[in-house]
Amino acid sequence: MSQSYNRGLIEDFGRWKEFSAGMWAWIFHKFTGWMLIGYLFTHIAVLSSAIAAADGQTIMLEGEAVNAYTGTIQGLESLFIIRVLEVGLLAVAVFHILNGLRLLMVDLGIGLEAQDKSFYASLILTGVITVASVPTFMQGVGL
Amino acid sequence: MSTQQQEPDTDAETEPEEPESQEVPADQEMSGLASPQQQRLQRKHDGMAEREREAAEDDLEGDSVHIKVFRYDPEVEGKQEPRFDDFHVPFERGMTVLDAVIYARDEFDSSLTFRHSCRQAICGSDAFFVNGRQRLGCKTQISELDQPVRIEPLPHQEVVKDLVVDMDHFYDQMHAVEPYFQDEDTPDSADLEEQRQSPENREKIKMSSRCIWCGACMSSCNIAAGDNEYLGPAAINKAYKFAMDDRESEEIKEHRLRIVEQEHGVWRCQTQFSCTEVCPKDIPLTEHIQELKREAVKKNLKFW
Amino acid sequence: MAERYSSFTPGGTGWLLQRITAAFLVVVLAFHFFQLHFITHAADVTFAGTQARMEHVGYFLTMVLFLVTATFHGINGVYNALVNQGLDGIQKKVVLAVLTIAGLALIAQGTYVALVMAGWA
Repeated sequence: MSQSYNRGLIEDFGRWKEFSAGMWAWIFHKFTGWMLIGYLFTHIAVLSSAIAAADGQTIMLEGEAVNAYTGTIQGLESLFIIRVLEVGLLAVAVFHILNGLRLLMVDLGIGLEAQDKSFYASLILTGVITVASVPTFMQGVGL
Repeated sequence: MSTQQQEPDTDAETEPEEPESQEVPADQEMSGLASPQQQRLQRKHDGMAEREREAAEDDLEGDSVHIKVFRYDPEVEGKQEPRFDDFHVPFERGMTVLDAVIYARDEFDSSLTFRHSCRQAICGSDAFFVNGRQRLGCKTQISELDQPVRIEPLPHQEVVKDLVVDMDHFYDQMHAVEPYFQDEDTPDSADLEEQRQSPENREKIKMSSRCIWCGACMSSCNIAAGDNEYLGPAAINKAYKFAMDDRESEEIKEHRLRIVEQEHGVWRCQTQFSCTEVCPKDIPLTEHIQELKREAVKKNLKFW
Repeated sequence: MAERYSSFTPGGTGWLLQRITAAFLVVVLAFHFFQLHFITHAADVTFAGTQARMEHVGYFLTMVLFLVTATFHGINGVYNALVNQGLDGIQKKVVLAVLTIAGLALIAQGTYVALVMAGWA
């Protein structure tokens, strides 16, 4: 038996249609986790414009000079794409929170039989909260 | 090169053990449906009735079953490149996946290789990857599956030949948790009677003791696939069985917790529940792993 | 193969801290989103408004703790995801070092920004 055959990571991604609830929950949780840590770095970078603002630096926003912090944030917020991304960020954060609560319950050994149902519940709730928040997030921005 | 060891038809049952010893009649001293055991039996009963109804409905009698079987043999020219072979097996009521491959081997291609022995979900030899999921061949009814039935060796293990995979790594992980009863202070042989276990404690470790080492859970585990050092669900469940056994002393339990709380022990479990879903013996593997995590944390908090 | 599992236990504390920070973050992240998208709209954020919020010691401390726990939770999560994929040896040590440095830098920068906003630096 000198030889054997390594099938590699068969099923891991090629068989995604056969994944069960717990597997999907893990994939989504991991994906949203990567997004959130990535966003945290971006977030601090943007907020760092406060240092320049405290220094008295100004930038031009719609023809008038405003401090660097206000200018940066309001400049970004006036972009349609940023608003869309923010809604995406909300969805990502809400799912990570809700599924995180589910995982905390699993860690405490509570309701393990219902782990698939609680995953579907967090998905649906995420959808509802996201859709309900769209008007608030899109307030006062043109295409 | 060892291929098939026994002819299944000649391997007669020698032990006159009564079948279904787990099937306890309802009128026994344990009260009502309260006990978990009773509940399990009830569920088992319901499931059986359900299955029979279903089998009667889609009667495949007289039809043939189309199975596609993974083939690979490093020693045969034409089989070095893995492929799928198609077999059409005459259906019989109650036919399992294992029955189908046995028929295919006996009637069509005697070189078709797979492990099997007891044919009643006890030996744990015939876990296959059937229609995209780890199942025990002898416990899976053909009538419950979509056709063609795709039968492959367990993923994440090296294929030795056809449906036979290399189980060495799995056994290594099982042995790493010291899967045997240990007790430093065994009573003196003079008053050595029995080491009794309370019914409650027995109930606690009961499900974990049902493991048949088939490797389905390990094969289904996404983390075990990536991290080769991860102990895996079966080994951790085995550790649970002994760690939760009251007859072992506290020190031994601590020793067992130290084994499973290594970096590649319980912490790697991401509660995907894949193992729990594929376990042919319905062991709540994830639940056991989670409980060991909490036990390990508790033990360490005590020392702070 | 028991020898392989005979070293010090690095997993347990990290696992517990990941859960504790998670419980904290659930509350604070929800509060943060609510505060800056529903009470104050993100588009209406001004430097003066931010300064007014940050000057409260309670808010300042909450935000700094938010930053520290979120960074730990995120960095530890990323590290664990990589270990789950079978990362080990030198590579693992390097990744851990890089992630730790990135996390510390993020906390340092974020804390400095918060101090500036509060007008204490």
